Amino acid sequence: MKRFKPWEMLMLVMSMLLIFTACGNQASNDGAEPKPQNSGNEANASANSNTPPDPLGKYPETITVSEVLGYNPPEDPRSPKGITPEQNAYLKDLKDMLNIEIKYKWTVPSSQFEQKFSLAMASGDLPDIMELDQKNFEKLKKQDMLADLTDAYNNYASPTLKKYMESDGGFAMSTFTSDGKLMAIPAFEDPFLSTQLLWIRKDWLDNLNLQVPKTMEELDKVALAFVNEDPDQNGKNDTYGVAMQKNIFFWGFDLRGFFNGFNAYPSIGDNQTAWIKGDDGKLIPGLIQPEMKTALGKLQEWYNNGVLDKEFALKDENKAVEDITAGKVGISYGEWWYPNWPLNLNVDKDPKAEWIALQIPGLDGPGKSLVPKLRSNRMYVVNKKMKNPEAAIKMINYYIEMGNKKYMENNKAEQGYVYNWFDPRVYNPAQIETIYTEVNKALDANQEEITLDDENYKNVADVFKATKDYLAGDTMTASKGVNWGQYFSRAAKDGGWGMTRTIKENQAFVSNEFYTLPTSTQVEKGSQLDKLMQESFTKIIMGAPLDEFDKFVDSWKSLGGDQITQEVNDWYSKEAVK
Amino acid sequence: MKTLKKEYLLHFMLLPGVIITLIYAYGPMAGLVMAFQQFEPLSGFFKSEFVGWDNFKYVFELPDFMQVLWNTIFIAVFKMVLFLLVPLILALLLNEVTKSWFSRIIQSAIFLPFFLSWTVLGGVIIELFSLNGPVNGLLEAIGLEPIMFMLNNGWFRGIVIGSDVWKGMGYNMIVMLAAITGINATLYEAAEVDGAGRWKQMLNITLPGMAPILILLGVLSLGGILNAGFEQILIMYNPTVYEGGDIIDTFVYRLGMFSQQFGPAAAVGLFKSVVSLAMVSITYYAAYKYSDYRIF
Amino acid sequence: MHKPTISRRIFLLCNTLILSAITVLGIIPFIHLLSISLSSNTAAMAGEVKLWPVGFNLDAYRYLGEKVEFFRSFGVSVQRVILGTAINMVLVFITAFPLSKSNDQFKFRTVYVWFFAITMFFGGGLIPTYIIVKDTGLIDSIWALILPGALNVWNMVLMLNFFRGIPRELDEAATIDGAGQWKVLWRIYLPVSLPSIATIGLFTIVGHWNAWFDGILYLNSPEKYPLQTYLSTLIMAINSQMTSISIEQIKAMENLSEKTLRTAQIFMGALPIMLVYPFLQKYFVKGITVGSVKE
Repeated sequence: MKRFKPWEMLMLVMSMLLIFTACGNQASNDGAEPKPQNSGNEANASANSNTPPDPLGKYPETITVSEVLGYNPPEDPRSPKGITPEQNAYLKDLKDMLNIEIKYKWTVPSSQFEQKFSLAMASGDLPDIMELDQKNFEKLKKQDMLADLTDAYNNYASPTLKKYMESDGGFAMSTFTSDGKLMAIPAFEDPFLSTQLLWIRKDWLDNLNLQVPKTMEELDKVALAFVNEDPDQNGKNDTYGVAMQKNIFFWGFDLRGFFNGFNAYPSIGDNQTAWIKGDDGKLIPGLIQPEMKTALGKLQEWYNNGVLDKEFALKDENKAVEDITAGKVGISYGEWWYPNWPLNLNVDKDPKAEWIALQIPGLDGPGKSLVPKLRSNRMYVVNKKMKNPEAAIKMINYYIEMGNKKYMENNKAEQGYVYNWFDPRVYNPAQIETIYTEVNKALDANQEEITLDDENYKNVADVFKATKDYLAGDTMTASKGVNWGQYFSRAAKDGGWGMTRTIKENQAFVSNEFYTLPTSTQVEKGSQLDKLMQESFTKIIMGAPLDEFDKFVDSWKSLGGDQITQEVNDWYSKEAVK
Repeated sequence: MKTLKKEYLLHFMLLPGVIITLIYAYGPMAGLVMAFQQFEPLSGFFKSEFVGWDNFKYVFELPDFMQVLWNTIFIAVFKMVLFLLVPLILALLLNEVTKSWFSRIIQSAIFLPFFLSWTVLGGVIIELFSLNGPVNGLLEAIGLEPIMFMLNNGWFRGIVIGSDVWKGMGYNMIVMLAAITGINATLYEAAEVDGAGRWKQMLNITLPGMAPILILLGVLSLGGILNAGFEQILIMYNPTVYEGGDIIDTFVYRLGMFSQQFGPAAAVGLFKSVVSLAMVSITYYAAYKYSDYRIF
Repeated sequence: MHKPTISRRIFLLCNTLILSAITVLGIIPFIHLLSISLSSNTAAMAGEVKLWPVGFNLDAYRYLGEKVEFFRSFGVSVQRVILGTAINMVLVFITAFPLSKSNDQFKFRTVYVWFFAITMFFGGGLIPTYIIVKDTGLIDSIWALILPGALNVWNMVLMLNFFRGIPRELDEAATIDGAGQWKVLWRIYLPVSLPSIATIGLFTIVGHWNAWFDGILYLNSPEKYPLQTYLSTLIMAINSQMTSISIEQIKAMENLSEKTLRTAQIFMGALPIMLVYPFLQKYFVKGITVGSVKE
C-alpha cells in the first residue's frame, strides 16, 4: 500500500486545479513567452485563473520524475572525464529552473536499450517518462498504460515546441493520436533527410577527364572507368566502382538509390518492401515490380565486370567504410550526411580526395528518390500512473530553451553539459534546413559571428564555426575532414543538404505510403520473405539466371506477400492519414 | 548409526549448492510456460494467452526448418568430434615435450584465442579467407585459382567448424592435461622397468588413465548437438551461404527481427533442451551399462 | 636415462615444429590487435594494418591512460573475479565431494546428481531469470553477477570426476583413523587435487573475466560495469532493421571512428587474464600425484 505524503497530496490537488483552470483558458495562452527568470512564484500565479500555465514555470515543491536512459558516449571529447548520466549538468539546471528532479531507474548503452527495456516491461517496472519506438508504443497503448497528453500539450507546450510539432501540418502528431487523445510527443525529422544522393569522387572524374554522370548510361561508363583506368593514378589495379555491403537494403552503403534510378522502389532501408501508389490508387509493393528485374540485370552485369566488389556479400558496413576511407571505391549511394561520416575519413587520409553530391542518375536524366512519409525512430510518452504529465512537456520546453544563446556561456561540453543524455529531447524537425539558411546568411554577409538569437543558436553556431575553420584551413579544433564534413553535409550549397533541398523543391521524389507498424502477416512471415529476397537477389547479382526474379515474385506472393498487400491496403483505405 | 551421521554431513555439504540451484536455476524454469504462450512482456506469465502447441507447430512448419535442422546437426557433430580429437592429440603431443618452458608457452598460446570474442575474431577470420587475404595469396603463389571461401557453402561450413575448434581447443586440452597429471606416476616407472617405449606407455597407461575424463567430455558434448555456435555464425554468415550455414539459433534470431517473438523462441529453446537431455541420458546409461562408469 | 632412438628424435623434431606452428596461429590475432592499436587512426580505419603498425604512434595508449571508465571497470572486474572465484570454488568443492562418493557410500547421490545435471540442459530464459534475480534483491549489485551462477554444474561434474581418481583406500584409511568427512575433504582431497583445482579455477576466473552480458542485464548504471561489459559498449551495433539513422546517431558514428583507442582497450582488457594462465601453470606440474602423497 502506498501512502501519499502530504506534499504529494498538495501537488495532486494543485495540478488538477491547474488543468481545470487551463482548460477554460486555452485561447489566451498562444502568445505566452517562456520566462524562466521570474518563474519563482509561478505556481501561485497560475493558480489564479487569470494567468495561463507557464511552459517553463517552476514547481513550488520538487517533483521527482523517474526515467530510463539509453546513451552513447558523450560526443564531445571535451566532456569531463568519466562523467556519468547522473552528473549531466542539464539535470542540475532542470532542478534550478523547474524544480524537477530526474531519477534514473537505470541507464544502459543505447545498443542494449531494447533488451533492457523488454525486461523492464516484463517485470512491470516502467518509469514515468519513456522514450519509445513504434513497436513498444503500440504495445503500451494497447495495454492502456499511457497517459493522455492532450491537455498537457495544449496548455504547457511552449510556442517553439508547438511550432515544431505543427511544422509538418500536424501529420506526425496525428499518427500518434487515437480517439482524439494525444498519446505521445514524436521526435521526428524532415522525411527528406532520407533522400538518396549519389556521392562521387570528383578528383577521380577529373583525373580521367570524365563528365559528371546524369543518366544511368553515363554512370555505367564512369563506374567502369573507375574500375579499369586507375582513377587514383597510383599505377595499381586496386579500385572498384560502387560501394556496397551485404544487405541489399540498409541505412547506408546500399543500392536503394540505384534501384530508384530505374524507377524501381523496393525498400525504404529495411528488408521489407516499400509501398507506392499504383495507377488505381491502391498501394503496390515496390519490391516485385518489373522495373526491379531490369535493375537487377544491370547489377549482374556490374558484378561481372568488377564495378561491384566480387565479395560484396561478405562486407558489413564497417568494411564498406574501410574501402571508402582507403580510397578503393569512388561512388556510393546514400543520404545527405555522408561527408560527416565516413567521407571525412577519406578526406583526412587523402588530401586530394574531393567528393561531390549528385541527384541520382536515372534512365533519361536525373531520377526520383524514394522518400518516407514519416522519419521518426523515437517518441516520448508518459506513464499513466504519473501524477504530473505536464512535467514531461515542460521538460521538453526546457530542453529546447537551453539551445538559446543566453545559456551558451555555461552550456558547454567541458562544463558537463551532455545534450544527448537528456530525455525527453525534441529537436527542430527543420534543424538542418535552419542551419543551412542561417549559416549561408552569415557567410553571405561576411559575418564573424552568428547573430541569430533563438533556440537554434547552438546548432547553427557549431556548424558556422566548423565552416569558418574549414574555409580558413584552420585545424585547431578539429581535423580538416571533420570541419569539411560539417560544412559539406549541412551548409554547402552543392553539399548534402544543399542538393537534397533542391530535389525537394523540384519535387523529384516518390513517396513510401506505408508508415505504420508491420501488419500481422508481416510479423509472422517477414523473416521468411526477407531470407527469400536476400538469397534470390544476391544470387542473381552473382550470376544466377535473371529469370530467377520471376520465380522470386511468385514465391513472395504465395508465401504471404499477397496477404500482406491486402492488409496494407486495408490499413491504407481505413486508417492512413493521406 | 555411524553411517547415518556420515550421510547427514554429506547432505549438509550439498545444502548451499541445492539452495542456489533451486532459486536461480529451477526458479526461472517456470518461464518455460512461455513456449506454450503468446507471450507478451507487458502481460507477464499469468496474463499472456495460452496457445498450446502452436508455437512448436509454427516453427517446425516453416519451409526451411528441416534444412536448418540438418545444417545445425552437421556443423555441431563435426565440432563435437573435433573438439575431442584435436585437444586429445595436442595434450598427448604436449605430454611428450620435455622442456617445461616450451610446453608452457605452447599451452598459453593455444589457449589465447579463447579470450577474444567472435565480434573481434569474426572479422579477422573473414579477412584471412577473403580474395585479397593471405590464404588466397598462398594459393596463388603455388599457381592455384583463388577461391571465394566465405561465399561457398562447403568451404563456409569447413571454416566455421575449423575456426571454432581453433578458438576453443585450449579449453578441453587443459582438462585433458590435468587428467594426465592425475595419472599415477608409479605406473610409468613400472612400465619403464618393463622396457615399454613411449608409444606403448601412451597406449597402455596414458589413454586408459584419461578414459573417464574422455568419456565425460564426450557424453556432455552430445548435449550440444543442437548448438552449432550462434554468435560465430551470426557474425560470419551471409545470404549466399544461408543454404549450408543457417542454423536453428540464427533462424530463430531472424524470426524476431520484425517483432520480438518470445513464444516461438522459447519453444525452440525447450525443444533443444529436451533433445540434449535425451542424448545425454541415453549415453549416460550406455556408458554405465557397458563400462560400469557413471560420468556424474 | 638411456639415449633417445633416432625415430624418437625425428618425432620430437616434428612435434616441436607442429606445436610451434599452432603457437604462431594462436598469437597472430593478438599481434594484429596490438598493431592496430599502435597505428595511426586513418590507417586503421582504412584497414591497412595487418601484422605491423602503420604510422606508429602511442596516442591510443596515451588516451587510454586518461580513460576513467576503463580503470573504473577494471577495478570492478578484479573485485568480481576475486569474490566470484572464491565462492565458486568453495561451492564446487563441497558439492563435488559428496557426489563423488559411490552409491553404496551415499545412497541419495544419484538423485542429487540429476537434480544438478538437469540444469545444464534446461533454463528458463532471460526474462524469468531476470525476474528471479530482481525478486531476490540483487539487481544493481555485484552479487547479481556472482550468486546466480555461484554453482557451475559443469565445473562441479568435472571436479567430481577428478575426485574419483583419488584412490578410495585413502579416505577409507582416514575414516578408520577417526577423521570426519570434513577433515577428509580439507586435509586429504584438497592437497591432492591441486592440478584439478588450478584447472577449474582457471576456467572460473576466465569465465568471470569474460562475462559481459549479465552486467548489461542486472546492473543499472555504467559506473558499476565490469570491464568486458564496458568494452562491449564500445562496439556499437546499429539495428539492421532501422530504416534511417538519426542525426544523433551520425554524430555517434563519427565518434566511433577512434578505432585505435577501441582496439587498445580490447587488447589491454585481455592482457591481465592472459597472464593468469602461466601463473597457474606451476600447479600443473607432474608429481603432485596421488602416489607421492601416500608416503
